Amino acid sequence: MKPQRRDWLPGYLFISPAVLLFLVFVAAPLVAAFGLSLFHWDLLSTPEFAGLDNFRQLVTDGATIRAVINTFVFAISSVITHIGIGMLLALGVHRTMTRGTKYFVRTAFFFPFLVSWAAVALVWKYVLDPTFGLANYYLSATTNWLASPTWALPTLIVVDWWHTIGYTFIILLAGLQTVPAQLHEAARVDGANAWWRFWSVTLPVMSPTIFFATVITFIGAFQIFDPMVIMTQGGPDGATRSIVQYTYEKGFQSFEIGYAAALSLVLFVVIMIVTGLQFRLSRRWVHL
Amino acid sequence: MNQSQLSRRRFLQATGGTALAAALAGCGGSDGGGGSSTKELSFVYMGTAEQQATWNKLFAKFSEKHPEIKLKAEGIPLSNWGDFFNKLSTRLAGGQVPDVIQVATEGQRLFASKGLLAPLDDYIAKDKSTIDEYYADMDPNLIEWNKKYSSTDGKTYYLPGEFNTMCMWYSKDLFAKAGVPEPTAKWTWDDFRHACEQIKAKTGAFGYAAGPEYFAAIMPWLLTNGTSSFSDDWSKPTYNDAKAIEAAEFNRALVADKLSPPPGGTFDATTAAAQGKLAMFGGGRWPIISIRNLKATAKMGIVPWPTKVEQGSPVGWNGYPIMKASKKKDDAWTFIKFLISTEGSSFFAQLGGTIVPARKSIANSESFLTDAPKGTEYLYQALSYATPIPSPDKGAAVQKAVEDGWKQVLTGNASPADALGKAQTALEGLV
Repeated sequence: MKPQRRDWLPGYLFISPAVLLFLVFVAAPLVAAFGLSLFHWDLLSTPEFAGLDNFRQLVTDGATIRAVINTFVFAISSVITHIGIGMLLALGVHRTMTRGTKYFVRTAFFFPFLVSWAAVALVWKYVLDPTFGLANYYLSATTNWLASPTWALPTLIVVDWWHTIGYTFIILLAGLQTVPAQLHEAARVDGANAWWRFWSVTLPVMSPTIFFATVITFIGAFQIFDPMVIMTQGGPDGATRSIVQYTYEKGFQSFEIGYAAALSLVLFVVIMIVTGLQFRLSRRWVHL
Repeated sequence: MNQSQLSRRRFLQATGGTALAAALAGCGGSDGGGGSSTKELSFVYMGTAEQQATWNKLFAKFSEKHPEIKLKAEGIPLSNWGDFFNKLSTRLAGGQVPDVIQVATEGQRLFASKGLLAPLDDYIAKDKSTIDEYYADMDPNLIEWNKKYSSTDGKTYYLPGEFNTMCMWYSKDLFAKAGVPEPTAKWTWDDFRHACEQIKAKTGAFGYAAGPEYFAAIMPWLLTNGTSSFSDDWSKPTYNDAKAIEAAEFNRALVADKLSPPPGGTFDATTAAAQGKLAMFGGGRWPIISIRNLKATAKMGIVPWPTKVEQGSPVGWNGYPIMKASKKKDDAWTFIKFLISTEGSSFFAQLGGTIVPARKSIANSESFLTDAPKGTEYLYQALSYATPIPSPDKGAAVQKAVEDGWKQVLTGNASPADALGKAQTALEGLV
């Protein structure tokens, strides 16, 4: 059939709310960030054009490099542990539980994800208190978890498990439930043991789900901010400062809006590159 | 087909243009909008919900006296000035300009230097007798400091208002239980440390709660050791001089010897002291609200900070400037005059604000000293030897650098010389 002249109009009208929202709340701030990153601006005075000064400062600022490293450490450990632990939990719940308990356990694991990070961080701050905290009481330790340069970042990674793994778990559990039973049966008839059935049936069928969970976890972890601000303020000595937090500090504590905009662009580019890379690599292992 | 593609491109061009316009609009802040154009007089101040309840009573009194002015006050519940000024700056940049704001010493120079405030000199000249009466009832130091630090161009943007200094609060019970004589106005660091040790040995309670707060836990130790975080004119940081390092070491030793709980936890000093689990904590006037709620005013005492080299205390005071963009400057001035009036400040003192009244007559009156620990008068007396809290333009970043360095020392993560040296470098980059 030949397309009519005016066929396109309703189509654009249908997508226009989404497109407009995207333009106003995503594209426009992005363009603004590009613009701001070329200026020195302290919010209160007139902005001064700075050219690429802010980007030059980025490369030499030790705190930025530290924040980027911290964020990568946090994100990579998050992705590995979330997928790993989330998968174990999902398999456990899927294979061993009756309908009722499954429903209960699924809700219990997912629940922390619904609690705001601010509340979670405050509660964990009490749990981890060096003198009165539950953690040290049960571990019979005296470690000052959040003030120790060695322990602060790993501690935050573990707190993040408690808060966020439920989400990965739910996604993976949903994926597990899509694996057709007849494939398992066929494999069993062919004499495959449990491990082989998991490796050759479950995993390939679930690979799109795992891929989705990986990308989402990575992006979420890369934007981590709340627990750092509330529990450690980026300390001790920058050991837990993330890129987003550093952006906030620069923008709204030091009033270097231009530099903060440049930092946020770095975050944008890094997430774009890593996600692109994940999509590229996914061709090798994701079974569609 | 061809037609459709052209249209799509045009569509994108048009929407792209809209986005660009939106972005540009986002860039430039505008003066209008917000409080300045409404009929009400808008006032923004810092206060927790608990403190806002107190403020609201004061506002009610103002409305009673001046029914012709409709006051719209908004308290922002934050706990430190740096965060409050950040929030305020962000709002101003977003075009929300109130008529009057509350600015403590920590932000006075910042706001004055950005040309956002209206000079008060004409108003002061017009109401000379009122202001003269106010100044005559105040420690001259406060007027002097306000002139020296809160403006850089000779104009007056702030009238000095209520203030806080630092003294040591102590639990009389714990001193008695440990058989240690209560501290006197002339006590030293050694006396202080000795008291901590004795109390720990005899009662098991902590002696002091060492912390990393710039005003409340770092400056008093620096000043009583004869140094400060910055040079006298706030142009050069002096955070790694030998005396600052010595003060940090002294505090680290308190933590290392378990005379103080480790920092970074959730230890609540006021409550612990009221319950007899902590002998001393530093404070200005503000712990009074919690102490009263815990019904512990009679159990507590206040003395000047222990000294090593000389007496010392930081001081910060409130100012209530009028914004340049305000369209209700006369009403704003009426409000400011109410805040500094005998009536306004005595009422506020009685309500149990978190701050010491600037008027000598009220600070020494029953309305301020009743239901307060023994020694509350030391808070006003500290003005005679206090030092304004060094607060260059980038106050919040300065505060963070100072506190991060101190925290590293208290936790034992870094040696005092290294940690304060590093903080010093960061501070040099900020001024």
